[in-house]
Amino acid sequence: MALRYLKNFLASEAFKNAGREVSDVVPRVVKYICCLQLTILTSSLSLCMLPTLGLAGNLCLAERISTRFDKLGVGDIVLLRSPELPRKIVTKRLVALEGQSVTYTVDPKNSDRSETVVVPKGHVWVEGDNVYESTDSRKFGPVPYGLLQGRVFWRIWPPKDFGSLAQSKGKDPVS
Amino acid sequence: MRQWRRVANEAMQFSVSTAKFIALLHVTDSYLFSPILAHGSSMLPTFNFSGDVVLAERLSHRFGRVVPGDVVMVRAPDDPNMMVGKRVLGMEGDKVTFVDPASIRQYRKTTVVPKGHVWIQGDNTKESFDSRSYGPVPYGLIQGRAFFRVWPPNGFGFVDD
Repeated sequence: MALRYLKNFLASEAFKNAGREVSDVVPRVVKYICCLQLTILTSSLSLCMLPTLGLAGNLCLAERISTRFDKLGVGDIVLLRSPELPRKIVTKRLVALEGQSVTYTVDPKNSDRSETVVVPKGHVWVEGDNVYESTDSRKFGPVPYGLLQGRVFWRIWPPKDFGSLAQSKGKDPVS
Repeated sequence: MRQWRRVANEAMQFSVSTAKFIALLHVTDSYLFSPILAHGSSMLPTFNFSGDVVLAERLSHRFGRVVPGDVVMVRAPDDPNMMVGKRVLGMEGDKVTFVDPASIRQYRKTTVVPKGHVWIQGDNTKESFDSRSYGPVPYGLIQGRAFFRVWPPNGFGFVDD
C-alpha cells in the first residue's frame, strides 16, 4: 500500500521537476566554486578575528601568499593551526624565525624567570602580545613552519580602525 | 574586422574553458585527492624505491578520521617545502615504544604522544627519518592519506593498512 504511494510519488511530475532543477543547479554551483578557487582573492585571503584585550573583536583580512613563498618576517601577525587543537586557527605575532635565539619569560604572572632557546630548523617562535594571558610558543614550544596558514595585513572592522596593520610590536595587541 | 572579432571571440571562449578546467583540477587536487610520486626507501616494502604513483585523498584528515595504520602525507617538520609519506603509529594519548636510531646504545624508550600530535614512522625502520628522530608531529601538518596505488600495474589497488 505504502509502496504504491511511493511509486506514484516517484513517477509524479512534481518529483521529476524537482529532480531536473537539482541537476541544473549542482553543476552550476560546482562551476562557481571552481571559478572562485581561481581568483587569487578568495584562495589567498581569509577573514580572522583579532581579539583586542578582551574588548569587541576586530575583523581583519589575512593573505596566504607570504606563507607559501616564505616571505614572513619578525613582527608579522600570523594565523596558524594550533599544535594542540588541530582544528583551531589562532592568531599570534611572529617573534623569531629558524636559527634565531629567543629570550622569554616563562611565566610572567608568577615569576621573572626567563629562558633562552634557539629556534630549530623549519620552525618559528610565535607569541601573543598579551604575554600574561596568551597560550603560545612559551607553552607549546616552537611550531613547524608548515602550520602557518596566513599573514594578517589589513583590519576592516571596526571602521575607525580600518587600515593596514603596522609591524610595530605592542601597537595592536593580540591576545 | 568581422574576421578579427570572430577569432577574438573564439580565443576568449577557449581561454575561459581552459581556466575553468584548471580551476576544477585545482579544487580536486586540494580538496579531493591528488596523485603523488612516492620515492625513497623509507617505506619499503609498501612503496618501491624507484617510485610508485599513489593517490592521496584529502578528506580524512580534515574530518579527524586519521587512525593508526594509515599511510599519510605529511609536511616535513624540518623542511616545510618537503612532503614525506609515513605510517601513523600513534595518536594523541597513545604510548609509543621505539628505539632512537641516533642513540649509540639501542635501548627502547617509551613516550606518550602529546595532545594534537601524531607519531609517524616509515615501514623500513632502518632507513627512515621519522618521529623516532624528530619526535611526534602536530596533526595539522598532515596533508593527505594515501589510499590507492596507480603505478606500477602489478601493485594496482588499495594501499593496505
